[in-house]
Amino acid sequence: MTKETIMIDYKHRQAGHCESGATSNLFNFYGVGMSEPMAFGIGNGLYFSYLPFLKLQYAPMMSFRNLPNTVFHRSMKYLGVDATVIKKFSDQKESMDALDRNLEKGIPTGMQVGVFNLTFFPPEYRMHYNMHNLVAYGKEGNDYWVSDTVMEFPQKISHEDLQRVRWAKGAFAPKGKMYWINTIKPDLDIKSAVEKGIKKTVYEMIKVPFPLIGVKGIHWLAKDLKKWPKKHGNETASFYLGQIIRMSEDFGTGGAGFRYIYGAFLKETGERFNNPELLAASVMMGNAANKWREFTYIGARNCKNRSKPEEDYGKLSDMLHEIAELEKAVYIKLDKIKV
Amino acid sequence: MEENPNPVYKNKEYGQYRELFYSYGPDGQFEKSVGFHGESDRVTLQQAWDLFNDRIEEARQKVIAGKASPILYYMEKTLVTPMDLSMHAGIMVWRVKRHLKPNVFNRLSEKTLKKYAAAFNVTIDQLKNVQ
Repeated sequence: MTKETIMIDYKHRQAGHCESGATSNLFNFYGVGMSEPMAFGIGNGLYFSYLPFLKLQYAPMMSFRNLPNTVFHRSMKYLGVDATVIKKFSDQKESMDALDRNLEKGIPTGMQVGVFNLTFFPPEYRMHYNMHNLVAYGKEGNDYWVSDTVMEFPQKISHEDLQRVRWAKGAFAPKGKMYWINTIKPDLDIKSAVEKGIKKTVYEMIKVPFPLIGVKGIHWLAKDLKKWPKKHGNETASFYLGQIIRMSEDFGTGGAGFRYIYGAFLKETGERFNNPELLAASVMMGNAANKWREFTYIGARNCKNRSKPEEDYGKLSDMLHEIAELEKAVYIKLDKIKV
Repeated sequence: MEENPNPVYKNKEYGQYRELFYSYGPDGQFEKSVGFHGESDRVTLQQAWDLFNDRIEEARQKVIAGKASPILYYMEKTLVTPMDLSMHAGIMVWRVKRHLKPNVFNRLSEKTLKKYAAAFNVTIDQLKNVQ
């Protein structure tokens, strides 16, 4: 171990979503002002998939976000930025050495990590979730300084712990994945990037020919939700419902929060390019997001009193159908808009 | 650090950090604010951890009574299924399931025990002796 100290002048700002927060912070480091919603929108952070045949912590799995590294990869691609992504390393030591070399060159480096063994993470959130992102920007003896955008302040983590989380095993194992920006041209074509980003999001939410992804997935989930109390009993049904709520509320931003971020993105682009249609879409998105929050608020009552549901599951299912229709209207509107 | 004004957690460590929220107000503005997570999140987290802790305690009793091997306890403690554990430790699923029996566990080789210990991030001594 070397004893030297490296500190890159990297500004940590808290964000709602780990990867778009890291991406926007990296852009800001290279002198391009980019807000978190902007990075989230261009990089297609918005998503929905429902995978009942996979179980995450004893309940059906669903995801409100895209696969790991999509946000960084797509926003770099659409903006034409020269960036490097190393998908996996074959050797654990080599992955840490590569990080050291980057820090010596003064490059803040993003990494995909697993949450379970992350030492500074709040204990109630430590589950086997391998799609978290953080940026290393300094080294002090055996410790690294990392910027985890869901935390309020930068954190310190030891060499061994960082290596362990970078090599977390299981589904979507990070395998030491690393990414960083090489150079950014001063004149970025944000307009075409926004156009591409919106087009791709609309495709993923309403046009994928598979019933469990996008708006169709929300409908499917609503149909299943209605059946749970009869099929599994009240206790399990409330636990499964709790899983939906946890997935959509965790870190305050889960599903509902991501809709807010996307709405903020539509608003920002609408103001930037003077497009009233985008502003109208942002209002619709904001209302859909508020509906999600209402759903989690009402649904949580059933989780409080587990064996005797206060709210009817049929009513909750209808609410989800309504949300799906609200969102669908936004995507159909976005499909026709020219930025 | 400021304390969470409405904690419901049984464990004091929980719910003591602040996160960033986005919200949409009636005036059409998307706002950011920093605070503790809301009521619905707290209720569901408590529900999930109640279930996990019950399962961990049940597994611990079983292990102490000699009805299951310590692997069951550590499996529940790290919130994994035999399928996940097989990926984490690099041992086939049917073998993992077989190792849950105490008499099979007692005959395990040092090499296999090492694999399990590394997957659970404990020493072999801790793995063998569940308190």
